[in-house]
Amino acid sequence: MLTGKRSLFSNQPGVISKYVLTVLFIGLSNGIVGNVSADAAKGKMLFGQCSGCHQVGPEAKHLFGPILNGVMQREAASAPDYAYSDALKNKLQGGNWSDESMDAFLAAPMSYAPGTKMAFVGVQSEEDRANLINYLRSIDTDGNSSDAATGVLNESEQSSENASNEPPQERRPATEFAVPEHGVLHLGRLALAEEVQAWDIDVRPDGVGLPVGQGSATVGGELYDAVCASCHGDFGEGTGRWPILAGGMDTLTEERPEKTIGSYWPYLSTVYDYVRRAMPFGNARSLSDDDVYAITAYLLYLNDLVDEDFTLSSDNFSSIALPNEQNFIADNRLEEAFRQSSEPCMSNCADEPAVVLQRARVLDVTPEGN
Amino acid sequence: MTDGKKQASLSRRAALKKGLLASGSVGASIATGSLLSSSAQAASHATQSQPEKLITEVQDWNKYLGDGVDARPYGRPSQFEGDAVRRSVAWLTADPKSSVNFTPLHKLDGIITPSGLCFERHHGGIAEISPDDHRFMINGLVDNPLVFTMQDLARFPRENRVYFLECAANSGMEWRGAQLNGCQFTHGMVHNVMYTGVRLSHLLKEAGLKSNAKWLLPEGADPSHMTRSIPMEKALDDCLIATHMNGEALRPEQGYPMRLVVPGWEGNMWVKWLRRIEVGDKPWHQREETSKYTDLLEDGLARRFTWEMEVKSVVTSPSPQAPVNHGRGQLVITGLAWSGLGKIKRVDVSIDGGRNWTTARLDEPSFSKSVHRFYLDINWDGKEMFLQSRAIDELGHVQPTKNQLRAARGLNSIYHNNGIQTWHVRNDGSVENVEIS
Ligand code: HEC
Ligand code: HEC
Repeated sequence: MLTGKRSLFSNQPGVISKYVLTVLFIGLSNGIVGNVSADAAKGKMLFGQCSGCHQVGPEAKHLFGPILNGVMQREAASAPDYAYSDALKNKLQGGNWSDESMDAFLAAPMSYAPGTKMAFVGVQSEEDRANLINYLRSIDTDGNSSDAATGVLNESEQSSENASNEPPQERRPATEFAVPEHGVLHLGRLALAEEVQAWDIDVRPDGVGLPVGQGSATVGGELYDAVCASCHGDFGEGTGRWPILAGGMDTLTEERPEKTIGSYWPYLSTVYDYVRRAMPFGNARSLSDDDVYAITAYLLYLNDLVDEDFTLSSDNFSSIALPNEQNFIADNRLEEAFRQSSEPCMSNCADEPAVVLQRARVLDVTPEGN
Repeated sequence: MTDGKKQASLSRRAALKKGLLASGSVGASIATGSLLSSSAQAASHATQSQPEKLITEVQDWNKYLGDGVDARPYGRPSQFEGDAVRRSVAWLTADPKSSVNFTPLHKLDGIITPSGLCFERHHGGIAEISPDDHRFMINGLVDNPLVFTMQDLARFPRENRVYFLECAANSGMEWRGAQLNGCQFTHGMVHNVMYTGVRLSHLLKEAGLKSNAKWLLPEGADPSHMTRSIPMEKALDDCLIATHMNGEALRPEQGYPMRLVVPGWEGNMWVKWLRRIEVGDKPWHQREETSKYTDLLEDGLARRFTWEMEVKSVVTSPSPQAPVNHGRGQLVITGLAWSGLGKIKRVDVSIDGGRNWTTARLDEPSFSKSVHRFYLDINWDGKEMFLQSRAIDELGHVQPTKNQLRAARGLNSIYHNNGIQTWHVRNDGSVENVEIS
């Protein structure tokens, strides 16, 4: 059933989302690493957005993406025991990565090597890419990093470093400090409207907090395939242990319930809110408000709750109810039958001696090395 | 390093090595043995026929000078305590950036968890935030939306409190039966530290609450932008914004430079890297209070907003990772008890799987919504034991059995498993997590 849906989408080559186009454009216009300052320590922090799919270090394993140890010192697409796409293998044809080719790849992987498995939007900032490349270069083929480059300091360096980094405090007479009017203790300052707007992205079930906008399931499907499917699966079924997002209807009373947006979540606002604040994993806040509308529409479609030509907008949002909304109840733990007010039994509480019914060792799922 | 210095340190190392080799005796091999396995301690012997070389011979540490004052500008545990570390269970989650590890409860005593051993649960990895770059905002139903720096926060009156933090999913893997062999894994999603912080009510007053202000939404600055809805009564009652744990600045893993403290309530609400609190008139039904942290019951209904962590206890030693190595005779049974509703009034311990109970000694100090340490000192006859502990809090809530919970909720609740734990101590002192009749 789901397979049918999938082919519907891939049969529509005309649909390229605005999103993918933007990435393409940026990728073309910024192909060459300019004279931006490359800072490996910053690169290490930026690598957070890659680490959902890539590991580095002596213990690194292949995840969805290959180990990246020494990637700047070796042939492209050559990590042993990793199945690369033909798209990437053929792109540099056995040549090493250069600053320029890596920069172009990271700017827009999917337009640099169409068909690559690296379903990642790309890094928009030229400076960020330069920092990332410098970081990748600082890691040798064994996964060890040159300390200076990654900003890993030993204990004594760290303390002296911090001490010398203290900016020289400009001392001013205490009476010259302004004291604000507001409040009881007159602490903090008034927040500006732009600041509140930048951070206040939460959405409630009654629609409070929703931005004005819209997006269709069709566009959402393109986006989803590009930036979500690598973890959550083409149909929201979840690859490996990544979360499952669709299906599982009527399984809540079964032995192994499948809790998804369609089968479990009470409110659609939560989908919009969560995807906007936290997804894609490793690149949060990279989607526009309309992108999130489109993806939310597509997630509804994957859960069989709307048709393929559905468009979700700030206008029709509140008209969508999720099927499981009525099955949430308030905390009533204190009404549970086993709670007795009498004193608990202290002696001869059972006739028979205790017999083992189940042992943890049989399952053998406890990690080694305790 | 000058050549002279290098020489000196080389020859000192050589001497150290020689010293070890020369005393290649029973004593020395015990000493080096413990380098390898830090938990292996010399067994206690009833008698000794040969004088112990550890006593009759001068040991290296008796003779050679150790590190000077500046060798460890930030101290660290003894090298012999190498296995007192947090551990994770790789198969539980898809990625270490959204995962959990566990406090080594079996290695700890007293009630305070050392900062570096407090279990970690992240949803987007550890955010590393310079306090200079951190901003905290209060907006929504307030007279004045405000922005604070860390320096502003340090000017509010502050206080110190000891609280436990337990993840609602602690013991969640055990609903279907005994799974993980060790209290680190079955119960290690709890820690207990002293927080220094500002009462949330001070901060809310500074912004001025509107009359319809009923709910709060704290939000983190990490890539998950963690959010939870918290009712106003709780916020005004005892919530803190903490900047310090155990006397020093919060650890990055625990939300440096500031986190929310929601005493007695599930750990997920204690938003780390706290950057904003919105004030509203209704709850937000965020992902962590709908998809997660709701308790699915057998009939398909799900409880939401199950905030309080109820009365619970566990024997931390003996336990699977802390077997009895000394044979029969005097034995210390110890563990932890806690309740999100107040203080612990009493802990009973059973060695026969709940047939007979003895009230354990509750040690001081005793704080509300903090873990309590209990001890039961027994003379072990060397026969197998089924160890259990049962805590009762000051409101009279009695820790239930796992089967009582299963009967009331089914097997798919995931969260809020505060059932009584059983450890099987065999006659050789080894210990296993079991379910019994
Ligand atoms: C959604 C998962 C994902 C994310 C996120 C991701 N990658 Fe990849 N990456 C892959 C996959 C899969 C491949 C293999 C591509 C192929 O075979 O077509 C790859 C390939 C690569 C390669 C080529 C490796 C080689 O051996 O030549 C580099 C370099 C790389 N990624 C860097 C990055 C960097 C840097 C980031 C973060 C800015 C990143 N990736 C983010 C999945 C990902
Ligand atoms: C690199 C892997 C990865 C990618 C790519 C990714 N996600 Fe996720 N997603 C996760 C992880 C991990 C979680 C769970 C996070 C947590 O619990 O802290 C998650 C959780 C979710 C959830 C909540 C699931 C639940 O049951 O509560 C939704 C909805 C979701 N993702 C949607 C998306 C969408 C939409 C995209 C694309 C825009 C996306 N994700 C891209 C890894 C990924």
